[in-house]
Amino acid sequence: MHRIDCPWCGIRDEAEFQYQGDATKVRPAPDASQDAFFDYVYKRDNPKGWHTEWWHHVGGCRQWVKVVRNTLTHEIHATGAPAEKLSLPRKKKRGSK
Amino acid sequence: MADFVPIHPLGDPEAVSKASSNAGVTFDIPPDLSMVQVFARKGQEDNVIRKLGISDSPRTASSQKSFNALPLSPGQWMLVGNEKDSSKFEAAIAKKVAGIGYVSQQSASRVCFRVSGPKVRDFMSRGCRLDLGESVTSKGYCAQTPIAQIGVLLHQIDEAPTYDLYVYSGFARAFWHWLTETAAQFR
Ligand SMILES: [Zn+2]
Repeated sequence: MHRIDCPWCGIRDEAEFQYQGDATKVRPAPDASQDAFFDYVYKRDNPKGWHTEWWHHVGGCRQWVKVVRNTLTHEIHATGAPAEKLSLPRKKKRGSK
Repeated sequence: MADFVPIHPLGDPEAVSKASSNAGVTFDIPPDLSMVQVFARKGQEDNVIRKLGISDSPRTASSQKSFNALPLSPGQWMLVGNEKDSSKFEAAIAKKVAGIGYVSQQSASRVCFRVSGPKVRDFMSRGCRLDLGESVTSKGYCAQTPIAQIGVLLHQIDEAPTYDLYVYSGFARAFWHWLTETAAQFR
């Protein structure tokens, strides 16, 4: 069970959130090619390790929360509002907290 | 055309006071509450906060003379007033935030259950994931969270503690069922 620190509500259980995927995708310009839009809508990496992603706080404030989570250890490094830039943690040994 | 007559979602609100006699957990439905939701226009959040004289804290209710403001989300609040005439309440708030925000009438769309009693903390822990311990929350604490799979707006109104639990009217019966069934073990 993840415990996610919503910037507005505080720490809440994962059950209150819906996972909404990769938060690093940027919408292409309106006149961008069809390929660019295909990539934007469908193409996703499947990283082992740190991932910046959206969690929608549906059971609380209904805001979208940006989360830096380790897909391997499930550790959550940082959370923030959608406009915030969250940096990935420096490289460290796996399993350390 | 016949006038619409509002029907209480529980049918018999009297049942609420009957259910709470001599119990570790007590229930009440506060009468004559008016509720409106206020939304700040884009970029006007601070102005709405100033105009209504409320706090910008996302987890604390602000008490004003004529209403409590419960934060819902950035730029959104539920204003609850002790006012029988909900249209009058709506008009008064709409006047305050004219040009900087919107109001939406919610008086008939929510039911408030007031829950207290010597065992209320144990009782709440049966369905509420939040830590409502004495050292964690105090008077004014506000949160939205699912309780028994039902979305609840929670407001701690005193240090007894007493909690006001707001649910959508359509869920009032199901929620009331959960409240009474769960309270049965706290006599
Ligand atoms: Zn939240």
